[in-house]
Amino acid sequence: MTDDRHYLDHEEKSVVIVMTSGPSQRHRCATPFYMAAIMASMDADVKLFFTMEGVKLCQKGVPEQLTALDGGKTIIEFMRDAKAAGVKFYMCRPAMPGYEMEVDDVIAEVDELSSGGELADLILSSDKVLFF
Amino acid sequence: MECNGCEFRPELYYDAEFQIWVRIEERGELAVGMTDISQSIAGKILHVRVRRPGTLRPAGKPVATVESGKWAGPVPNLFDCTIAAANREVLEDPSLLNRQPYESWIARVQPAQPLEQALSVLLTGDAAWAGYQARCRRDGIACKRLPA
Repeated sequence: MTDDRHYLDHEEKSVVIVMTSGPSQRHRCATPFYMAAIMASMDADVKLFFTMEGVKLCQKGVPEQLTALDGGKTIIEFMRDAKAAGVKFYMCRPAMPGYEMEVDDVIAEVDELSSGGELADLILSSDKVLFF
Repeated sequence: MECNGCEFRPELYYDAEFQIWVRIEERGELAVGMTDISQSIAGKILHVRVRRPGTLRPAGKPVATVESGKWAGPVPNLFDCTIAAANREVLEDPSLLNRQPYESWIARVQPAQPLEQALSVLLTGDAAWAGYQARCRRDGIACKRLPA
């Protein structure tokens, strides 16, 4: 008899992942995208919101060069896997000046530039909220 | 037939990104599996989980999830269907997908519409071969199959 853990029974849920980690903690920068991809594949509506140092992962040239582990896959590849699974990316516009980022610096994978209020809306309306 | 070492089988049906193959089975069912391209991108597959048999799956909702150490993602579904069965051998030994991707189906599904209508959203034959080669070359995908 096949183990029950092999089967998926989940109902649709909404999940927001708040990504605050950035290049200074590179070891924290791959797993959130991996988990986002899994949850999206399990029918969850997954939104990933970059804020604080997390916005640096949305700066052109940064995720392409960054790996969580030496010799590992780049962060942009993890981000693209999550996007391919259906995850939507939001970036905190108010955090941009602090990291000297302009709109033209933002990678194409970001779906929307959002306000703090929109993050609050997402948190209050989602079934699950995760912070990394 | 192969491109960059990735095997292609012209008799199968494929999605536009060549993530999955589809094969006609008995009783109007369709078997779904991962292509050589997909298993090469994923690397050694550690876990496969399938929607429970009997579950209705609308177009766009995956039939299964696949995880390797470096990649996680869905097994896409392009038409309304019901999960008919999961391949127990693959569930117990997911690395079969890396060793024998075209022998190792993941799920069998029963399309909600006539078979021809379900298959009409997929590519096969020459058109599929052209797209398969284009994907391999565009993304620089080389086969990384595990020994059988």
